[in-house]
Amino acid sequence: MELHHNFTVPSSVDDTWATFNDLELVAPCFPGATLTGVDGDEFTGTVKVKLGPISMVYSGSGKFTERDEGAHRAVIEASGKDKRGNGNAGATVTVQLAPDGDGTTVDVLTDMNVGGKPAQFGRGIIQSVSNKLMGKFVDCVKTKLPT
Amino acid sequence: MSVTSDSETTAEIGRRRLRKEDARLITGRNHYTDSMSRVGMLTLGMVRSPVAHAKITRLDVSAAKASPGVVDVLTGPDLADSQGSLPNAWPVTPDQKAPAHPAVAIDEVVFAGEIVAVVIARTAAQARDAIELVDVDYDDLPVVVDLEAAERDEELVHPDLGTNTSSVWVFDSASAGTGGDVQQAIADSDVVIERTLYQQRLIPSFMEPRSILVDPTGDRIEMWSATQIPHILRTMLSMTLGIPEGKLRVTAPDVGGGFGGKLEVTPEEVITVLAAQRTGKPCKYTETRSESLMGAHHGRAQVQRLKLSANKDGTVTGLDVRLLADMGAYLGLVGPGIPVLGAFMYNAIYKFPAYRFESKALFTDKVWTDAYRGAGRPEATFAIERMMDELAAELGMDPLEVRRKNWIKHDEFPFSTISGLEYDSGNYEAATDKALELFGYEELRAEQQRRRESNDPVQLGIGVSTYTEMCGLAPSRVLGSLDYGAGGWEYAQVRVLPTGHVEVVTGISPHGQGHETGFSQIVADRLGVPFDNVEILHGDTQVAQRGLDTYGSRSLTVGGMAVVAAADKVIAKAKVIAAHMLEASEDDIEFESGRFGVRGTDQGVALGDVALAAFAAHDLPDGIEASLDSDATFDPENFSFPHGSHLCAMEVDTETGQVTLRKYVCVDDIGTIINPLLVEGQVQGGLAQGIAQALFEEAVYDDAGTLVSGSFVDYLVPSAADLPSFITDTTTTPATSNVLGVKGVGEAGTIASTPAIVNGVLDAIRHLGVKDVRMPCSPSTVWAAIHDAGSGATAEAPNVQTARGDQS
Repeated sequence: MELHHNFTVPSSVDDTWATFNDLELVAPCFPGATLTGVDGDEFTGTVKVKLGPISMVYSGSGKFTERDEGAHRAVIEASGKDKRGNGNAGATVTVQLAPDGDGTTVDVLTDMNVGGKPAQFGRGIIQSVSNKLMGKFVDCVKTKLPT
Repeated sequence: MSVTSDSETTAEIGRRRLRKEDARLITGRNHYTDSMSRVGMLTLGMVRSPVAHAKITRLDVSAAKASPGVVDVLTGPDLADSQGSLPNAWPVTPDQKAPAHPAVAIDEVVFAGEIVAVVIARTAAQARDAIELVDVDYDDLPVVVDLEAAERDEELVHPDLGTNTSSVWVFDSASAGTGGDVQQAIADSDVVIERTLYQQRLIPSFMEPRSILVDPTGDRIEMWSATQIPHILRTMLSMTLGIPEGKLRVTAPDVGGGFGGKLEVTPEEVITVLAAQRTGKPCKYTETRSESLMGAHHGRAQVQRLKLSANKDGTVTGLDVRLLADMGAYLGLVGPGIPVLGAFMYNAIYKFPAYRFESKALFTDKVWTDAYRGAGRPEATFAIERMMDELAAELGMDPLEVRRKNWIKHDEFPFSTISGLEYDSGNYEAATDKALELFGYEELRAEQQRRRESNDPVQLGIGVSTYTEMCGLAPSRVLGSLDYGAGGWEYAQVRVLPTGHVEVVTGISPHGQGHETGFSQIVADRLGVPFDNVEILHGDTQVAQRGLDTYGSRSLTVGGMAVVAAADKVIAKAKVIAAHMLEASEDDIEFESGRFGVRGTDQGVALGDVALAAFAAHDLPDGIEASLDSDATFDPENFSFPHGSHLCAMEVDTETGQVTLRKYVCVDDIGTIINPLLVEGQVQGGLAQGIAQALFEEAVYDDAGTLVSGSFVDYLVPSAADLPSFITDTTTTPATSNVLGVKGVGEAGTIASTPAIVNGVLDAIRHLGVKDVRMPCSPSTVWAAIHDAGSGATAEAPNVQTARGDQS
């Protein structure tokens, strides 16, 4: 499943790039996410998601597979397993930054692979839940950005 | 006392009687299993695997066990020694491969929905909460989803079996001596039509989810289950769990629909018995709708590779069928037998000189398949009716003309078919003529022509399907020859009570069909008693101590005949007593309208008087036992063969792919009709179910084996708003294989309608180059078929249409 999000932040491209690359700063902005370890381009953590009646606690790892400072483009691959065996989830997130006046446009393409219970029952609401989560994430990230 | 002698002048058989069971059902005074309760009852909750194929590497139930109200949590290893393996009663070949089927998975799961642990709690809410606390780690294994991939054995569902093929079952008319060699026929023919057709997986969608209550606190284990097969279930549970039959009572109370979906010995039933035995307390389990969709068996699921050969004039010369049948991850109770039942129906109403059938039963990582309304016959009928239309199109003939050319004529009955059945009676001409008259065939063909010429974006198609099926499953000797594990007889008992009222016990087990009404009508006529004075008892192994339950349209043709046989025995006995009472010779006694009269006089006694005399037993003839009752077991000598002609008009919007059913006419010949109202209900429901396969329903698994159509949001069961008013009618050619002349109606609508609809859809868009469209014919599928045909994309492989645009 592909999800596409696009938003603008009131910071320069370079500042935004730096912020997004600081996982320890940004990760807590994602609702339900906890970063448990960072080691270079690799990280581990947990994400708590509620899809309608289904609660999932994914724990897993991820890494930057691409981090192109010049092109302001980063690709993160992450995968996790629900703590109670309700299924796996994997995602490839491609973030592309572009200047937009004084601010920066952030384009996030998420190619998500969800298995198990949420695939069966949450398919219809994954889009709307992810939109809501992304909205909260953006609001939070904006507070972390230098203006 | 005279209860009956002058009470009825009108025959009950043929009368539009309202259903006697409805009063309690529609006023909430029903007896569904989930409505029942026992003192101290516990509730079960099932922990089900969300993944399709995996090793269970860790199963931690400690948190669930500590959860409020939880009495125990059982795992596969806990039950390994006691749960046995769920039964398959139909090993179709001697070398059939069958994996052990534990009720609770022990160390590996093979489909999403398989039970891995059982929570036993005081309330349903506590059970649900505790389910969430069971921690399971799965180590994923390769998943086999696609049937054609399963055949290639690249990944295996059960590696220890070494293959995904469970069995290969073959019928060849040349070796059976019923016809010629099909390869030769194909080589010698003018035209050969070759197609691969897909029977998508369907979910039976019974209205009442499955529910089980087991009370172990008395002398026996008492079980109530929403099942179609209480008798078979008792026998199978006894064999599986080692409980003597006499210590196990199974009751099917009111059961809200089955369609074959409750023709099963389920893991949930085994588990509920085991949980009750372990806790010593009554235990109940009622599935949620989601569990029902993922955990109760599915139906259909076949790939049909077909070759039909014919001469230029449309005379069929041979049919070669090669099936891939999706068994799912395990073999169900009769699952492997479903395609085999279909084997006898591919020749349908036609005279084929050569026929070969081969079915390969394959395992996949999905819930197992088993009986679903029609069981094998809808799949077969779909295939041949689609092929007859393809032949008509190839030869430029009218689809009805091709059928007329090949069907068995009325004066040719009885007719021995190439698959080895003897059709006792039929009149395909009469049913077709009547259907054509009701349909307005010529006018609709003219409209079709106009729309084509004007290039109307909405095209019209006319769908034809003529069918027969085999009902009255089944003569025991036939089942024996097919290696089925049991017979096909049915049991009944008729008891005339001292008041003249009649109690009838039947071994069949209704689940919504209206048997109490239909059987009362039969008995009322046979014994000459009022309809309201007849009580039908069923669905309880203690009340009906023998029986083979309800499926395959056998209730009336086999169960009804057992009732007739028992009633006739009662009349014979009563006649002896009546002669004694009237001081007349038995030879002079006539029985009519519930009264035994002395021929040529006005002397006589009513059946009720005889019953009272038999009850009092003050003065009975020598050798006659007190009581006026008798029982009978009826084993049919042949199947019955209902048939019919179905016609529909389909509108297809070529710009959107939207298909609209405009008109549907069917004329079914089901022999003698006991109650036209029951027949109409069965036909209408059957049509809805068959049309749903053509247009709406599909159980879809994604590549990981997740059932993504796991709720009624994603699995589209039609409502009344999705269907037009059907025009239904009947012709009557009584069956000659039973004295009532009945043939069975439960599956007719389902069997005939699916090919009629798809033929109609194709007829609307064939001129655009479309030769096939996969079911369900959703707007996106139809649109893609039109689009691909227009772009020439299907020129290479016109018979394979893979667009599934609406499913991700």
